[in-house]
Amino acid sequence: MNASIEILPNMTCIRPAGRLDFEAAATFQTQVDQAIAESVKRSAPVVMDCNGLEYVSSAGLRVFLVAARSAKAGSVAFIVCSLTPSVKEVFDVSGFGRIIDVQADFATATAKITGA
Amino acid sequence: MITLAEELILLAIEDDGAISYTAGAPGFTPALVSAYLVELSTIGRIDADLSTLRVLSSKPTGLPAEDQVLETLAAGPSQSIDAWLQQLQPQSPSLLKLSLGLLVSRGILAPKDASFMWVLHSRRYPVVDGREQKEAKLRILGTLLGTDVPTPHDSALLGLARAAQLLEGFLSSAEILRLEERISLVGGIDLYVKAAEAAIRAESTLRATAFMSPMF
Repeated sequence: MNASIEILPNMTCIRPAGRLDFEAAATFQTQVDQAIAESVKRSAPVVMDCNGLEYVSSAGLRVFLVAARSAKAGSVAFIVCSLTPSVKEVFDVSGFGRIIDVQADFATATAKITGA
Repeated sequence: MITLAEELILLAIEDDGAISYTAGAPGFTPALVSAYLVELSTIGRIDADLSTLRVLSSKPTGLPAEDQVLETLAAGPSQSIDAWLQQLQPQSPSLLKLSLGLLVSRGILAPKDASFMWVLHSRRYPVVDGREQKEAKLRILGTLLGTDVPTPHDSALLGLARAAQLLEGFLSSAEILRLEERISLVGGIDLYVKAAEAAIRAESTLRATAFMSPMF
């Protein structure tokens, strides 16, 4: 998998793509940790745009939980959006969708941040 | 370092050293098996999705029970977490024995033979100083009473303790009811724990159906 991180004036956008399984989880976790730490410094919300994420395993899910935990500890919003159907199913079954703010698409997520 | 399964076992040990699941808590076995799977997943020996559990490495962990589970997984077919939970449950007595042995060797439990009416003999496992048991309870309480997003480990511990009906050992029914929303929200955010919950629900439904069915 690969991930891009975009630092925008009013948010940090993380875009994972491909397969997030155990093999990919550690590297992605490091990237996410750094992105959230930067966001906490400037009090900017974090949006995880999962439009390109094709697959998530049990190990991959833990990255989301740890990210949500770090963001909450740093008092910044953490929103996940644009889940593909297969990833959304894993979120639903595992109960992630109840604890993490999940929005349908990037526009909805940014609207929530800006209060539009 | 105490493993998730060991914490679950410590929560199941009552003041007199008896293990509460033997008194009939139906969820303990699937919860215990799930705890071994969570542990193996956390240390990177297995990974899973909704359809398949995969062995990533069969290198022994040094934990006897986890290694027995890993060996079974590595030798078996490619199948779902649900199927593996079913298949591994018959091994739970030997897995429990291995984990109890490790807890004894670490000085956390002290085995003691007990008898009832001078006839029925059983082995009990009183905790030595109760520190690890207390820590597990405090971590669960911290998760329940706080507002933070829990760590994956603490979320799994809470979910499995709830599934195995072990929260009843240190929380009143009224407290559990009051905390139900938080328990549901943060307990067991994990595919292995959800599989255990589903297995317990299915077993409970089966038992209820059998109980309600007319005999003739």
